[in-house]
Amino acid sequence: MTIPNEPLVSKEVQLWVGPQHPGIPGNMAMQIWVEGDTINRGITHVGYLHRAFEKLIERRNFYQTFPVVCRICVPEPDTNEYLLAAAIEELAGISDQIPEKAQWIRTLVMEMSRLAALLMVVGGQAGGMGLGAAPQWMVALRDYVLDLFEELTGGRIYHMYIIYGGVRRDLPEGFAERAEAVLQKIEERLPMIDNVIFESAVFRKRAMGVGVIPKEWAEQTALTGPVIRAMGIPRDVRKDYPYLVYPELDFDVVTEEGSDIYARALVRRREIDQAIDLIRQILARMPQEGPILARTGNMLRWQVPAGQTYVRAEATRGEFGYFIVTDGTDKIRRFHVRGPSYVHGVSLLERMLPGLNISDLYPLMGSLQVCPPEIER
Amino acid sequence: MEKIVKELESRFGILSHREQRPDLGEVVIEERNTVAMLEWLKRHGGYIHLTHYSVVDWIEDSQFQLVYLLTDPNACHTLMVSTRIDREKAEAESIHALWPEAVTYEQEFNEMYGITFPGSPRQGVEFMLEGWTDMPPMRRDFDTVEYCERTYGFRPGRHHVDPKEVRQRFQAEQKRLKEQEAATANANNADDGKSSEAEAAK
Repeated sequence: MTIPNEPLVSKEVQLWVGPQHPGIPGNMAMQIWVEGDTINRGITHVGYLHRAFEKLIERRNFYQTFPVVCRICVPEPDTNEYLLAAAIEELAGISDQIPEKAQWIRTLVMEMSRLAALLMVVGGQAGGMGLGAAPQWMVALRDYVLDLFEELTGGRIYHMYIIYGGVRRDLPEGFAERAEAVLQKIEERLPMIDNVIFESAVFRKRAMGVGVIPKEWAEQTALTGPVIRAMGIPRDVRKDYPYLVYPELDFDVVTEEGSDIYARALVRRREIDQAIDLIRQILARMPQEGPILARTGNMLRWQVPAGQTYVRAEATRGEFGYFIVTDGTDKIRRFHVRGPSYVHGVSLLERMLPGLNISDLYPLMGSLQVCPPEIER
Repeated sequence: MEKIVKELESRFGILSHREQRPDLGEVVIEERNTVAMLEWLKRHGGYIHLTHYSVVDWIEDSQFQLVYLLTDPNACHTLMVSTRIDREKAEAESIHALWPEAVTYEQEFNEMYGITFPGSPRQGVEFMLEGWTDMPPMRRDFDTVEYCERTYGFRPGRHHVDPKEVRQRFQAEQKRLKEQEAATANANNADDGKSSEAEAAK
């Protein structure tokens, strides 16, 4: 047998990254075709975490749906609770009966949830580039926020706190002071995090100019969240489609230029400061007295009039939406989740892969904040 | 909303329309006008984004409802464009040429509802399910419990320990130890009594 002396002209190799791989953000897999270190194309594969949430909800009465929806997103379950409550309240015609204090508490919970998730994702972005300490610190900071959730709701991860008509219980005595202490603790450590992540030569080298999304794609595809704000486009559901008490709060939409991994990380980092500020504003301005739950009757026997709606909220990953159809019975007829990852993690990611270095795959997925459960629900 | 509804009415004819919220409206149209209307809305109406795309199974009417949620990001308004197709001949025109991300939705609806979108690139390619041979599972007549009972055997579950039994065993053991202790103490006392009598006799 003779060994060919000519160099190979083309050698495309097919690789599976995931579903069990430290560089994959969740239970999903990327099937990629590489030539050397360069990815030629790729396909997103999901289904490893399909729990049929949408089907389960169609078989449960209205009150039984809360323990299901919060599990759609582990780091940010409260967005799901709020959206379900908001959609059903709208279809039931009781949106205007939700007490003012409950609206403020819901906003507080949403911002605490955003803060906890942002802390985790900024650390996770750095972790994917080999910076080991920062994610540990960020997860520790997130744990302080989870302590607050535990005190407020009884649960650290899944809260089931926002319910139809309002929230389940009032803020405990002294909660505002303890929340302020946690915010101060986080703020004290953020300069250190900035130093380790955003000033790091490794992070800057691997994030700047990598994973750039052309600005014209923003017009072609429904990109949302930090992905679009890192293009310099101030698009935020909290401003564009105001809900809860956000119109009463003072904040600007965070934007950055560059549309690369660094710009998206920086948007999230600045949104941590924004969430801290918003939590302080809410705690300072929310009504101290008043009901927290509207009179809704026996929720186990609820029957909601036939209708169809779409509600949305700003999660850390972008626009999270629920499309809900009711038919006048005691169950939801159709429950369909619109997670930002459905667009960012499949069509956008696949479109960005050609020409990408294989080692930049995880940083890119991290910066798009791909979350498989909201793709496969 | 009024302006766009009038425009759609004159160009395509709509069956009905309503305003759900100031930022959300719905127009119901016939299936044959769907793609033409969506294209017009994208090119001329300002509704450039496909925010969401959904299916509702109206089994009692033997129809599927397709809902396209289009958003005008500049006006911050979303339009739900609804149409119905025959459930028995579940086939609809693909919109992937208008919005590439529709490929994923159409792949999912093909798998979960059995609706086909001729020309859509990933029809028949597995999305969430693997080796699925039964009825599309999101159809209303798919019975999850019946499927599970038919497909998966009964599993007795883990060996479990009843706390009541543990407590009873613990109490019985404590009782036995106490009795044993008492018996030992009695025996010792009896031995001590005998030895003291023997010493006295000496």
